[in-house]
Amino acid sequence: MTLLKIEGLVVGYDAFPVLHGIDFEVQEGEVCVLLGLNGAGKTTTVSTIAGLLRPRSGRVLFDGKDLGRKSPSARVSAGISLCPEGRRVFPRLTVRQNLRLGAWTRRRDSKTVKRQLDLAYDYFPRLAEREEQLAGTLSGGEQQMLAVGRALMSRPRLLLIDEASLGLSPTVAKTVWEVTSRIKADGTTVLMVEQNAGALPFADRALIMEKGTLVYTGVGDELRQVNLREAYLGA
Amino acid sequence: MTIDELGIVLVTGVLQGSVYALVALGIVLVYRASGVFNFAQAEFGTTGLFAAFVAVEIWGWSYGWGVLFGLLAAVAMGLLTERLVIHPLRDASKVTLLVGTAGVALTAVGIQFWQNNEVPIRQMPKIVEGVAATPFGAAVTYQQLITFGVLCAVAVALAVFFRSPSGLAIQAAQQESTAAELVGISVRRVSMMTWGIAALLGGLAGVLAGPNTTFTAGFLTFGAGRALLPGLMAAVLAGMRSMPGAVIGGLVVGVVEQLGTLSALEQVHGAKALVLFVFLLAVLLLRPQGLFVRRAAT
Repeated sequence: MTLLKIEGLVVGYDAFPVLHGIDFEVQEGEVCVLLGLNGAGKTTTVSTIAGLLRPRSGRVLFDGKDLGRKSPSARVSAGISLCPEGRRVFPRLTVRQNLRLGAWTRRRDSKTVKRQLDLAYDYFPRLAEREEQLAGTLSGGEQQMLAVGRALMSRPRLLLIDEASLGLSPTVAKTVWEVTSRIKADGTTVLMVEQNAGALPFADRALIMEKGTLVYTGVGDELRQVNLREAYLGA
Repeated sequence: MTIDELGIVLVTGVLQGSVYALVALGIVLVYRASGVFNFAQAEFGTTGLFAAFVAVEIWGWSYGWGVLFGLLAAVAMGLLTERLVIHPLRDASKVTLLVGTAGVALTAVGIQFWQNNEVPIRQMPKIVEGVAATPFGAAVTYQQLITFGVLCAVAVALAVFFRSPSGLAIQAAQQESTAAELVGISVRRVSMMTWGIAALLGGLAGVLAGPNTTFTAGFLTFGAGRALLPGLMAAVLAGMRSMPGAVIGGLVVGVVEQLGTLSALEQVHGAKALVLFVFLLAVLLLRPQGLFVRRAAT
């Protein structure tokens, strides 16, 4: 079943269009990776899906419904959660406070909050150990885990992860990618944005963007062919 | 210098400092939310005082309703400031924003002159008249005691509030507004709420300090009850971020200022302001991050 459908999306900052009309779909229950070089328009794409940016034209359909001009907050309630580029944890709040705020739209449903909190600690045991620590004092990898955990707190149907591997060591990046399969198993569809082709083995399907257009859609295995990787990812 | 003399400095300083602390709390709140020193913070207070005075003395309302009206007027001014000045200027430079708040302060002073010119001497009655005690020979009025009590209550209330979900949401929006938006917190509403609370604190300073003396337009900014500059000093001592720091900073500034009244400094003109500025300079030289904050972890 199609969970997310992007139709002819055109987005730009001031006079400069960044996305030149892209179309793609994400199926419920898959882990999808959106690959591309810096400036390809990946962050613009997920920011538009999350409602931080407004498209000039085109539509974002979630579960068959046009999201139109819905606010980021309304989209969280609808079931879309974005773990933003650069982690953006709340530095002077504790790990636990950060996580609890992730469930802001469900704050009156203490059962769900508790369950999601346990789930986040289960995915990333390190966070449980550092529960009372201020988020600003965590390492980069731990902050990334916290950002993903926080995004999961609203119990989304679709989790968008923007460049989880940025600035992390390959081992730590792998830890974060590995969790996506568990997130999927627990019922959340994942769309992650990456520059790093190392994420490919963790995805069911890959989309490749170049200069604001989608140039390839396919299963991850095909991409292991050397020529494709060279052509689009320079690796 | 006698023990009594120092006792008077301490008592008078803490009581006067209570008003500074209320103003400082508002300054810190707004600084954390909007990243700007709010020139209009003390004018929230004067506006509240004028409104309460008009309600009680001219319209003949009861004292309680009059004060409530004054506080509501202050909050309304805070919300209007956010809507008409701060929000439209959110992408402008901080200097522009600073000038914007100065504009709000001057507008408020202008309106006070224009609206209340026929009343020559304005004296807001005290909540309870009279002197409550005379420790070390310093006359402490009920009004001053109540002011100090309100400050303590406000400090506790704020501490509780900032640990509540709404308080955490405010902190989150101040620390990472994009991420706050992404978890579903309305950053817009948080900004309104912060300015409303800051204006309420200013209003409290106004209606509590007003009855100590007669008042004119600009009372808390540069008039007889001037508290903007001492409040800013207290906020600077608090590193512009710490709420407990703002409370203690306000009391410290009050006491340090009173040191200027010691008989040893009798011959020095403007000793109160001099002592205060020397103290602030010394603190800024030794601990530029403020007295009550750890260096920010990054």
